[in-house]
Amino acid sequence: MKILLIEDDEAIISLLTKSLTAHRYVVDAVRDGEMGWVYGSTFEYDLIVMDLMLPKVDGMTLCQRFRAEEYTIPIVLLTAQDSSTAKIQGLNAGADDYVIKPFDVEELIARIRALLRRCSANPSLLMSWGDLLLDPVACEVTYSGQPLNLTTKEYELIELLLQDSRHVMSNDEILDRLWSSDEFPAEATVRSHIRRLRYKLQEAGAPHDFIGTLYGRGYYLKSFDQPIAPLPQPSLEAAPSLATLGANRDSTQTLQYAAFLNETWLTTQPHCLTQVEILSQAVQAFQANGLTDQLQHQAHHIAHKLVGTLGVFGLTKGEHLARRLEDLLSGAELSQPEWVIALANLVSLLQQEIQSTPTLARRSAAAQYSLAMLIIDADAGFTQALAETASQRGIKSAIAPTLEVAYQSLASSTPDMIVLRLFDPAQRLECLQTLADYLPKIPILTVANQDSLKQRLEISRWGGTFLLEQSSTFEQIVTYSVGLVQPPSADAKVMFVDDDDLWLRSLPALLEPWRFKVTTLSDPQQFWNVLQSVSPDALVLDIKMPEIDGLELCQVLRSDPQWQQLPVLFVSALEDAKTQNKAFVVGADDYLCKPVMGDDLAGRILNRLRRIKSFTQRSS
Amino acid sequence: MKIKRVLIIDDEESIQTVVKFGINMAAGWEVLTASSGPQGIHTAQSELIDVILLDVMMPDMDGIATFHALKTYPKTEVIPVIFLTAKAQTAEKNHFNDLGVSGVITKPFNSLDLPGQISKILHWELQS
Repeated sequence: MKILLIEDDEAIISLLTKSLTAHRYVVDAVRDGEMGWVYGSTFEYDLIVMDLMLPKVDGMTLCQRFRAEEYTIPIVLLTAQDSSTAKIQGLNAGADDYVIKPFDVEELIARIRALLRRCSANPSLLMSWGDLLLDPVACEVTYSGQPLNLTTKEYELIELLLQDSRHVMSNDEILDRLWSSDEFPAEATVRSHIRRLRYKLQEAGAPHDFIGTLYGRGYYLKSFDQPIAPLPQPSLEAAPSLATLGANRDSTQTLQYAAFLNETWLTTQPHCLTQVEILSQAVQAFQANGLTDQLQHQAHHIAHKLVGTLGVFGLTKGEHLARRLEDLLSGAELSQPEWVIALANLVSLLQQEIQSTPTLARRSAAAQYSLAMLIIDADAGFTQALAETASQRGIKSAIAPTLEVAYQSLASSTPDMIVLRLFDPAQRLECLQTLADYLPKIPILTVANQDSLKQRLEISRWGGTFLLEQSSTFEQIVTYSVGLVQPPSADAKVMFVDDDDLWLRSLPALLEPWRFKVTTLSDPQQFWNVLQSVSPDALVLDIKMPEIDGLELCQVLRSDPQWQQLPVLFVSALEDAKTQNKAFVVGADDYLCKPVMGDDLAGRILNRLRRIKSFTQRSS
Repeated sequence: MKIKRVLIIDDEESIQTVVKFGINMAAGWEVLTASSGPQGIHTAQSELIDVILLDVMMPDMDGIATFHALKTYPKTEVIPVIFLTAKAQTAEKNHFNDLGVSGVITKPFNSLDLPGQISKILHWELQS
């Protein structure tokens, strides 16, 4: 949890920073109201603690300003004024709690915790996910009752993932939330913390993939059985970061695009710094002589351009700073002298941000190796060529010429997928069985040089995916492997048409673990308009609806060549074979009878999405 | 769908470069670039262009002036124009629509998404 402390008393800053840090909060401390506004409106915090009497802008005004600008972040006011009028004024200004100085630090922390709890979507004190339990009061984490010995950052990391357990946290988000703004950790820091955390969780008995990696996007807690934790509110979509740009498209495109952005950033960064330098000169001129209209216009123009440029390069923090600058430079607020200082601070922060951004080439290299593949085969020509192709697609490969070497490799690290070449069917099938037993959750792609039903059957019984070598290029082998680990559901748009409002309303929550983008429609008359504007990846139809039934809608849909490929599933209370037959005749791909469980529904939708994805890959 | 030709008019060279690469990669379309309003108008008159992506805030001749100028030439008045802007306020979008632009795409954008966004605005059928 990240807290912004706005306080001008150094002793209190020191005391609170120390105590809050000991309770595993990340603290940014600023010393006046104006910087409080700059930090609070630029960076993301979970809570603000501010003194009432602050230099430049007082706490009451600042609090009002946050609320007027629709910041809902909880605010605790600290003050020496122990009068009910002051308290009422503070609370009226939008503060959530009011603590009188001198205060007991432990009491303040308890109030902060209570406030965070009240404001979070998870009002229970303990946070849990499967067998993982986090007790924020004792700062303890256990898995199946076994305590985990975590460092502060590891604790904060698991707490962050638990707070938003259905959300994929990108490296940038984790860096923003867990490190204070005067630290500049590299993305590799996040990865090494995740690695250590996974190791400790695994030691305590958690599955190795308890913390999942979504290639190119970030980390999340994997769904295991029934999570105990209540669902948190979906967090606001962050602007796309470099790592997340185009994450749901073909990984080659994404990587190539990211690599291109990186390359372009090398020449863009100096240009951005030159622009910031002009802003800095404008601020100096402003401080010396006041800002002329022309200078203000020029500075505003530069800030505006930086918003667009930094945004396109995925530099979210820089983009926000530039946007704040643009806002300030466009407003009449500049007549107030204190905003000159705010301008100077923002320019300085922006400069630091652009300078401290690691060359994006390094980011790309990091992103490139977010998947690991183990290739098992004795033919060095095959394994090396495949490893090279995989590397071009951003996949790090380990090569094992024998099963023994494969086990050694698996003992030190777990790959995301395994490619096994089956040239000696009997021996290799045994190998597949052993691997599937040893690592039941790691997808195994088997590449064979012979095609027989018996072999295909054996492979599918052991959960393997079959690929015939003579009809597959290295590129295809890598593409299929990536397809095995990347769920097709991420951001897939699924449209539901049903006149049962209650069922429609339950769908977003029911399907949330699969991260579908759900659109619901209860009025079949609106079908065509909504279909065209949503352009879904899958459609789920009820059969019995007033005026137009689902079968007719499906017929309409299939009569347009554009929608021939769209997966259509029927979900209906009608269980008779005749209706089901009709559904398939009009173009259904699947049929489920109500009541239907979330798992079943998601599973059937996923199947259709996988099929269509594989079909598209083959055709392209 | 035949290969489209897109003209981007933006004074930021890095944006031109990224947009050109992204559109070309995602849809195989050809992208021509111009760094100012006058240069863009010249290109639009001399080349066959299917759509113009026009940055709103440019020095000297801004996007709105460029748009008005494009509408005065018979050869360019029919080319659909989509504004690129870092501002997303509804009032501004409405203002742009009142001007008669075909659409607005807000920065930051992912250039790989641009062909899809352009096709949606102009009701082009985008092949996957």
